[in-house]
Amino acid sequence: MANETKELEKTKDTAEGVVMERTKNTVTYTPNVDILETKNGLEITADLPGAGENDVNVTLENDVLSIEAQVTSESMNGYKLSYREYGVGDYRRAFTINEAIDGSKIEAKMKDGVLHIVLPKAEAAKPKSIPIHKG
Amino acid sequence: MAMKYMAPFKWGRREAPVRQGLEGYPIDLFRGEMNRLFDDFFKGFGLRPFSEEMESFGAFSPTVDMTEDESSIRVTAELPGMDEKDIEINLTKDSLTIKGEKKTESENKDKESYYMERSFGSFTRVLPIPADINPDKVEAVFKKGVLNITLPKLVKEKKAQKKIEIKSA
Repeated sequence: MANETKELEKTKDTAEGVVMERTKNTVTYTPNVDILETKNGLEITADLPGAGENDVNVTLENDVLSIEAQVTSESMNGYKLSYREYGVGDYRRAFTINEAIDGSKIEAKMKDGVLHIVLPKAEAAKPKSIPIHKG
Repeated sequence: MAMKYMAPFKWGRREAPVRQGLEGYPIDLFRGEMNRLFDDFFKGFGLRPFSEEMESFGAFSPTVDMTEDESSIRVTAELPGMDEKDIEINLTKDSLTIKGEKKTESENKDKESYYMERSFGSFTRVLPIPADINPDKVEAVFKKGVLNITLPKLVKEKKAQKKIEIKSA
């Protein structure tokens, strides 16, 4: 049930075990992500409502794929909040990627607040069927 | 490929879900949570008891924020991955209904899913509107997966403050 709402990123308990401090006074959310595998690669789909294609950064560094997005909130000036279910903030999430991914061919698309990343498998990692000959 | 290579850092953390941002206005969050609980509870009293609940379990339901100033009410909803054609907005005298269906990205054949957090399905949200609205001037914009509805208040809504003199007897 709670899957549809954003989850606040935990600042403690990061992978490195370091407590992060930030320079900006914004909140960071962990986006919801689907991961699918096809014969040729992996597909990652992330919900980043409020982020456009220019706000998103996808980086691959030392087998860690990170997704970061800056969301500029529409200023609330003059408005007062009367009902609130979600907060506006940045997004961040990181995944460890198997080295069998061809890092040079990763493609990312952004549409309607949804980021879609295609990570093609390296040739060596693709399944090969081995023909069996009659002995 | 072994699953562990792709395991997100936060794997297995979801058993204690945080429903919405816990920063900021605790009283608004509490009120929102209570409203949702009531909504969810009374939804079960429809013609088909439980069936709706069962169907909607784990299904997509957008989160909504409402802000207000003297002249208008602004409703924003997070609808990532939706198309504006699939969203229907209806306004009655005192409520705003957002309806739609979030479809799965097609061609799921030949794909094995590792990890699913995003949800899909049809939804209806009915939001009470706490003021009289000019229905001819309501505007809705869908951008970057966020729906933004501006509902201008009727002018008479502006209450003139009147100071009452106290006479000495």
